[in-house]
Amino acid sequence: MNSHRILDHPVLGKLTIEKEIPFTFDGKKYTGYEGDTIASALLAQGIRTLRVHEESGSPRGIYCNIGHCFECRVTVDGTPGIRACLTELNPDMIIESGKQQFSPFKSTENQDDLPRTYAEFEKQLKGEKEDEPDV
Amino acid sequence: MDRIVICRCEEVDLEEIEQTLINYQCSMREIKLRTRAGMGYCGGRTCRPALNAILEKVSGEKQPHQIPLKVQPPVRPVSLGRIGETNYE
Repeated sequence: MNSHRILDHPVLGKLTIEKEIPFTFDGKKYTGYEGDTIASALLAQGIRTLRVHEESGSPRGIYCNIGHCFECRVTVDGTPGIRACLTELNPDMIIESGKQQFSPFKSTENQDDLPRTYAEFEKQLKGEKEDEPDV
Repeated sequence: MDRIVICRCEEVDLEEIEQTLINYQCSMREIKLRTRAGMGYCGGRTCRPALNAILEKVSGEKQPHQIPLKVQPPVRPVSLGRIGETNYE
C-alpha cells in the first residue's frame, strides 16, 4: 500500500509509524500516517495527479510543495482551494481532486468573423461592409 | 523543442509569450493582459520573475520605462466570506 515511502533514510533514520489515518480521495479509500500532509499521503500511494487544469485538462500535482503556487489545491470536505501540500491529514477526510470545467465561451472557429463590439454586430446584421476594428 | 510552460495557472508557454513580445513590442503588463500569464490562481507569484526575465532577454536590455507587474492585495486567494468576516465556513 504505502510502497513509495522512504523507510530507512540515510540522514533521518528509520521511519517510525505512529498511527494510521484513513481518508477518501475521489471516492477511493486510502490510509496515511499521522503527520502526513494530504500530498505526502497521496504521493506514498503513488497518486501524483491531484487535479487537472480547469480549461485544458492537463494533469497537475505537487509543484513547489511549500504552499506557494497553489498547484496542488484540492477540495476537502466540500471546501475548495485547499492546498494539499500544507494541510495535515485528518481522519476520514473526504478529498476530491480538481476537475476540468466547461469553457463554453472560448471560440476557436471563425473567431475573426465574429463581431468584437455591438456596433460591429449591428453592421453585420444590416449586411454592411465591416470596418477595420479599432485595436 | 519541448513546450516550456511559464505560467502554470493559466497554462501559457514560453513560445506564446515570446511571440507576443515580438509581435507587439509591449510591456510585461500588456503581455499579462494579452496572454493571461501571471493572472491565475496563485496571483503571478510563481511566474512573475520568469516573465520579467523573458522581457529582458527578448528586448535585450533593462526596460527603464516599463510598467512593472505590480503585486496587489489580497496576495493570497481568500473567500468572500472571510473578507466579510462572517462565519460562513
